[in-house]
Amino acid sequence: MSVPRNSHKQKGALKFFTRLAFFFSMTAVLGVQPVHAAQYDIKTMTPEVQGALDGRKQRYDTLLSAKGSGSIGENNQGYVTVLNSSSGADSLAQPENADRSVIYNTIVEQNGLGGGGMEKVQIAFAEVQRERARGGDMIQLPNGDWVKK
Amino acid sequence: MSTFKYLIAALLLFGTFTGCTIKAVGDPERPITINANVVVDIRGLKQTAANIEDMVAKGG
Repeated sequence: MSVPRNSHKQKGALKFFTRLAFFFSMTAVLGVQPVHAAQYDIKTMTPEVQGALDGRKQRYDTLLSAKGSGSIGENNQGYVTVLNSSSGADSLAQPENADRSVIYNTIVEQNGLGGGGMEKVQIAFAEVQRERARGGDMIQLPNGDWVKK
Repeated sequence: MSTFKYLIAALLLFGTFTGCTIKAVGDPERPITINANVVVDIRGLKQTAANIEDMVAKGG
């Protein structure tokens, strides 16, 4: 007794669709894993965040000098810390930290990073600041220790 | 028959991981609150931080 040709075709089609579904399933499963770093950004340039960026740009060179003299250091929370207040570094650190706070808050809000997002943003900025610090600048390590780079 | 089962299983798996539309039926006066865990990619944040610090440094 021979099997009708249509039955073979149906089985073949079923096998094909099964494999196709399996392929898409595996693609979807693997697709859940992040391959590239997620993109976070300042999506809307509000007057507030623009002012914060402008303020930071304007005091950038002065801040570099203060870091070089050791009166200001980069802490492990993404902000600057006054290490020698007698040098008048407070008047530099206060607006710098206020501007950084605006920038960090904007990133958290505009990227929907949630409650724990602020800590992660601060850690990321602190890491970048540590990496970019020049030789002789004071930086605070993640464990809280202050070291001269 | 077993092939059919595999097909169904594969489709269910596909639906599970690609996302499904879930319709909730309930009282509109009592909205459902979902506490979602947001996964933050630290590498992406570091890239963002680097870009912003570049911008600040260039404008200095």
